[in-house]
Amino acid sequence: MRVPLSWLREFVDVQLTVEQLADALTLRGLEVRGVERWGANWQKMVVGELLEVSPHPRADRLQLTKVRVGKDQILEVVCGARNIAAGQRVPVALVGALMPDGRLIERAEKMGVASEGMLCSGAELDATDDGDGILILDAKAPIGTPLSDYLGEEVIDVDVKPNRGDLLSLLGLAREVGGITGSSVKYSVRKLSEGGVAVSDGLALRVEREADAPRVVLRVVDGVKVGAAPDAVQMRLKAAGLRSISNVVDATNYIMLELGKPTHAFDRSAVGEAIQIRHAKAKEQLETLDHVNRILDADDLVVADERGALALAGVMGGASSEVSAKTESVVIESAIFSPILIRRAAQRHSLRSEASHRFERGQELDLAPLAADQVAALITAWAGGTVRKGHLDSNPTTVGQTRQIAFRPQRVRQLLGVEISDADQGKLLGGISLATSPAKEGASVQITAKRSVPSAKGETLVAAVPPWRRDLELEADITEEVARLYGYDHIPPTLPGRDLPGYQPQPTALRDRIRSLLAAQGLNEAVTHALVAKMLSERHAEPLNLVSGPLAVSEGEASNQTLLLANPLSADHDQLRRSLLPSLLDRAEANLRYGAVSGALFEVGRGYAGGKKGPTEWTRLGLIVWGEMGAAAPGSIVRCWDLDELKRLIRMITSAASATPRYMPLSAGDSTLLHPGRAARIAGDGVAGLIGELHPAAPEWRESPRILMAEIAVQGLSAGQPAVRRIVLPPTTPPIQRDVALAAPGGVSVGDLMALAEETVPLANSVELFDLFTGAGVEKGGRSVGLRFTFQPSAASELDDAIASQLDAFTTRAAKQHGTRVRGAEAE
Amino acid sequence: MELAALEKQLRTLQTESIKKIGAADSSAALEELGSSLLGKRGALTDLLRGIGALSADDRPKIGAIANEVRAAIDTALADRRSAASAAELVTRISAESVDSTTPGPLPQLGSLHPIPETIGAIAQIMASFGFTVAEGQEIEDDVTNFQLLNIPEDHPSRDLWDTLYLREPGQLLRTHTSPGQIRTMRAVQPPIRVILPGRCFRYEAVDASHGFEFHQVEGLLVDKGATLADLKGILDELARGLFGASTRTRFRPGYYPFTEPSVAVDVSWGGSKDGWMTILGAGMVHPIVLENGGIDPETHQGFAFGLGVERIAMLRHQIPDLRALLENDIRMLRGLR
Repeated sequence: MRVPLSWLREFVDVQLTVEQLADALTLRGLEVRGVERWGANWQKMVVGELLEVSPHPRADRLQLTKVRVGKDQILEVVCGARNIAAGQRVPVALVGALMPDGRLIERAEKMGVASEGMLCSGAELDATDDGDGILILDAKAPIGTPLSDYLGEEVIDVDVKPNRGDLLSLLGLAREVGGITGSSVKYSVRKLSEGGVAVSDGLALRVEREADAPRVVLRVVDGVKVGAAPDAVQMRLKAAGLRSISNVVDATNYIMLELGKPTHAFDRSAVGEAIQIRHAKAKEQLETLDHVNRILDADDLVVADERGALALAGVMGGASSEVSAKTESVVIESAIFSPILIRRAAQRHSLRSEASHRFERGQELDLAPLAADQVAALITAWAGGTVRKGHLDSNPTTVGQTRQIAFRPQRVRQLLGVEISDADQGKLLGGISLATSPAKEGASVQITAKRSVPSAKGETLVAAVPPWRRDLELEADITEEVARLYGYDHIPPTLPGRDLPGYQPQPTALRDRIRSLLAAQGLNEAVTHALVAKMLSERHAEPLNLVSGPLAVSEGEASNQTLLLANPLSADHDQLRRSLLPSLLDRAEANLRYGAVSGALFEVGRGYAGGKKGPTEWTRLGLIVWGEMGAAAPGSIVRCWDLDELKRLIRMITSAASATPRYMPLSAGDSTLLHPGRAARIAGDGVAGLIGELHPAAPEWRESPRILMAEIAVQGLSAGQPAVRRIVLPPTTPPIQRDVALAAPGGVSVGDLMALAEETVPLANSVELFDLFTGAGVEKGGRSVGLRFTFQPSAASELDDAIASQLDAFTTRAAKQHGTRVRGAEAE
Repeated sequence: MELAALEKQLRTLQTESIKKIGAADSSAALEELGSSLLGKRGALTDLLRGIGALSADDRPKIGAIANEVRAAIDTALADRRSAASAAELVTRISAESVDSTTPGPLPQLGSLHPIPETIGAIAQIMASFGFTVAEGQEIEDDVTNFQLLNIPEDHPSRDLWDTLYLREPGQLLRTHTSPGQIRTMRAVQPPIRVILPGRCFRYEAVDASHGFEFHQVEGLLVDKGATLADLKGILDELARGLFGASTRTRFRPGYYPFTEPSVAVDVSWGGSKDGWMTILGAGMVHPIVLENGGIDPETHQGFAFGLGVERIAMLRHQIPDLRALLENDIRMLRGLR
């Protein structure tokens, strides 16, 4: 809310400088977002006195003026406006002044006469909406004073929180300022002189449901002359951020800022005899003031007459009853509407207005008649006319209730951690009109909306809450007021002692270990968007059964369904990713564009999908690498990233998680993102995933560098600890190694052979691939696969026979299942 | 053999040996010379073989002379040996010298991303006060994200959070980490000290300081006596841990529906207009929220705070534009080691 200080001063003695005021309000919870001087842009503009006004010798439309802008400084200025006369004081833009519209004032010849500046209209200054005549200043305006000093205005911009609708008014802010400075708040009610016929003559009011509009007040002013509001009013509204419309509409806006109470003025001639506040009928139509024809919803509240809707209540008036230059009589509607109905209507029609903003936050019932009277008074002052006798009031007996909130000062102290005596708490609250008194026997303290506790005698106070503090309901609300008024800066910081929770494992321990390992290996951690485009999301149709068995991540519950946003910001981010790879590929591509010919990124992030029990999410590790693995030393060669190097990383990661990766051939449909001939599925105890080179058909593919990536789920990545290794003291006997070389026909995968080896040779502590080649001694298209089995017997030759028989079983089954042939098995 | 002849031979051996030793130019040659002169089958031993022919009186005399000769040769050998090895060392050092001032090949500069790193820094500071990490879900429902946090439907305070909704009815992307407060209170008995880091989403246009995806860290403490003064103390320590020991804080009233009293916290910051930068929101957990979490607000109280990770990361690393954090330009990532 923008607050012109001169206006605020009408209600309270501010006493402070604008900076002090801004600080004091901020420390009380009314954050001042900015302080500005409205009119500060009027540079090289001063107050001038017209000494002479004479006709221009050659142009009928122009006049010659002599204007005094300083003691001995008289300028000759040519002027086109007709409303000027000698003796008047006017704003003068001197040569070199920059007008708000960007025009630079220069010495100019106008039809043969030199002009040394410009007399300004309100519109030219962007001070009022009057562009026809020069802005005539007060007859005592000091000559030569810079215009920004004379007409300018200090304005503070206060961020009013949603619970404090009462502060969306000068009166409400004045109350807070009064609480700071100790000054009293004064609001002078404008006197209303009524006359002519009674308001009820030809006008009736009916409220369909009181809950929708607890109080509605109507007044009528006849004989108005619609025109511009006084210059000072227009400027004040402008400084407060509102546009000037007409004297009648400005009167409603003026009172809205003053009291926080929006009202609406209808052209009486467009309104029938029976005004009603009701829900809109289905498909009912209304053209609003912004000239949009709106189809109303049955949940919308309208102000209507016997013929149909006149206004969308609390949100915007209707075009048919708009006050115009022809209007002679106006109906002022000042109502209290249901905040929820107004909020929904404003949202439904995407029509957020100053009025709806205030209605949503609620208003006290007493404001309805007060605002109606004040608007009527201002209309007669600015537009003339007569206020009809009396007003229509849907609920005249309701008055603003002072509510009682019981609170325990000891509880306040206990919550704040600072000793503020009962008396001091009462004094602080009294500063903002919350009078306190001891609670009566049996009073209960409201702790939450559902729960109250009986108060102990002598330990409870009652705060009398004025009607405008609708935000205060519970004891905790009073506690906050005490804290706020006491000043947070006066509460000494302490540290919470005792009462510590027991041990909880650190869930990111394993993840952090893996991240550090990868960074130490030269990879850069990335954080990419979870919301992606359809195009990105569909790139990688990884199988949902990717993770199973001991990896108890929620993917088991996941379905094939991608989660879409109902209200996406853009098509680029309209769905949740299922895989990290498309986002990482997108970033790799960006880095390649930035000239990074080599790179290695990883991300630990979430994937999301629909599921049997609703949406699910899980944590995975994504890796993407391309180009060289590091910088070469002079004269040496650096290795490029390839599948083996990526697998080395995966081995390192999985060993931190005590998991063992095994690589299986990709099945058709596993991924459209990966090269079908250079990709594998990772499956093993505690790990699952995909690894491979970018598919050659992908738009990001290039001959060099090749892009490789992997996405893996690792047990404990989401929440887990690095496993504590069991340390086994090795026996004194040396380990036994047995190498088996198989000639394998084309198409047989090493992963399958190794899986078979593990299955058939359970005695082996490890099975590693030590040799892989094609050529001598191998059939065309086939390969020689060398596997090294390591055994650790506890006594010499203990296992010889068992090892031999298991290795036999392996070679036999490999021959049967995969058509391999033993090339030789030598002991070492 | 006569004594005199043998003595002469010994003296001749001494003179010639010393001459040869003087001419030897390497440790290896000296080693060879040493054994050919003084070794078991060396020249000196050879000469002394004739000692048997001498009289018993002459034998000790010749023995003394032989010892003199041996000592003189030994000394000459040792002197020459040390000179030769010193020279050889100089030669070796000079021959093996390289330019040791080259910078060495660059290691592959890996790095951790500033967002998780900042979360880690916060977790580490808070761990010293007994707070452990718990992570919640990013897909939330309206009830937990709003209603249980005392943000009813149709309340104007909903305007504080522009929400991204899923097509599944009632499901949304969490707008803050605060629903974790409810989930934690429902899962764990007090005393509670947790931090809840994670990704959040809002319907918000992207600019240099806003994004539709961002990260928050929520903190929650619930016990029987935590006060607003304790909240100030903890947040003072957090601010100093993040921004340095001389950091000052300013606490002022804020507004959040789920805390009462609510606090906005500024830290002293040279770069901002008035010297203060708002870094987090906090407050005493609202009794309605405690109640919704299954905790009795008459017996327990606590505080909560939430801070924006990107903003902290930008301040700590002096990153001028939030968008750079999700750009993942390797050049920038490497700079943030």
